[in-house]
Amino acid sequence: MNTKPNLEIKISWFLRIGVIVAGFLLLAGVISTFKFSGNPFFVFQVYDKIPLQIGLLHHLKHQQWGMLLSYTGLIVLITLPIIRVILTAILFIRQKEYHLACIAIVVLLGLMVSFSLGFEI
Amino acid sequence: MYSLLLIGISIFAGLLGSILGLGGGIIVVPALTIFFGVDIRYAIAASLISIIATSSGAAAGFLRDRLTNLRLAVLLEVGTVLGAMFGFIISSKIESSVLFLLFGGFLLFSSIMMLRKKSDSHSNVDHPWSQKLKLASSYTDENEKLIFYKVANVPFGVAAMTIAGMLSALLGIGSGIFKVMAMDNAMKIPMKVSSATSNFMIGVTASATAGAFLLRGDIRPEIACPVSVGIIVGSWLGARLMPKMPAILIRRIFIVVLAIVSIQMILRGLKT
Repeated sequence: MNTKPNLEIKISWFLRIGVIVAGFLLLAGVISTFKFSGNPFFVFQVYDKIPLQIGLLHHLKHQQWGMLLSYTGLIVLITLPIIRVILTAILFIRQKEYHLACIAIVVLLGLMVSFSLGFEI
Repeated sequence: MYSLLLIGISIFAGLLGSILGLGGGIIVVPALTIFFGVDIRYAIAASLISIIATSSGAAAGFLRDRLTNLRLAVLLEVGTVLGAMFGFIISSKIESSVLFLLFGGFLLFSSIMMLRKKSDSHSNVDHPWSQKLKLASSYTDENEKLIFYKVANVPFGVAAMTIAGMLSALLGIGSGIFKVMAMDNAMKIPMKVSSATSNFMIGVTASATAGAFLLRGDIRPEIACPVSVGIIVGSWLGARLMPKMPAILIRRIFIVVLAIVSIQMILRGLKT
């Protein structure tokens, strides 16, 4: 019976720490790419999609560490809910709630399929 | 200067969102499109990132306070993730003008819903799915009284969450208002539990689309990072300032502002 509160508290701590880590990475990215003059958003008035792998390779090639830090922060933030779903599935397996564990795994698979849509379209 | 302005607006959005119990998305998307002229697709993608940050932070607190119905959240997430997938597919096929019209319409709907008086629902019947998955639960209210509740209309709830997930993907919002409304009115779940469970689910819904948007290249760190940092700071400040703020007055002013912005977004959609 004790596993329930323990793991719920652990999920709560995991989310809190994850947001703080992601927040610092994003802040470091903002500071290192900060522009004091001009309108840095001007280029985003027209939609032009650049797939992630191309963007990352470009920043890596030009050693734009600030942008790479920003992307790391974004990836940490996006993976937080996924890890949370995995932890929830573990919680239900520990409680022998196999129906709910299966539902959590379906949600996880749904997330994977949803991510893959970003590659295909 | 523009970057500082965006961080300032995002802090304000996080602060207001935290006080009014909304995500910052419905403030950030209009600000990015109307004030900064950013394409609505980039604005929506940046907003989704900030939603994950605020939802994960808030979810941690609600989970600790035992308000979130984790079992119900997992079931309803099937609907929200499915809806987010549909929303992502649709988003790549429709014009910006349609997104402006949809967003404007949703803002108008939100402002009307905010006028609604909040009252707790109660069901005497536990739906068979709820019995099977043991979704009925309890929470402790502000008077330290243990309140038990049952869960009604579970299939309707899953269907409503699919629509909420689709709206979230299309408009870059948490669609918390819609989720809470479905849980409160149809599933007869107490308001506090509905709000906490909705907040818990928002992160997963937003993540489903944000991952796809990131891979496709719609999430631009130059926009998403200042917005997220601003909203995280604003929400943190809002949670601390909340007891000292005249929440009812702020809510009334915000409803008027929301209605005005919604009309601006609709007009923008009709022009483009």
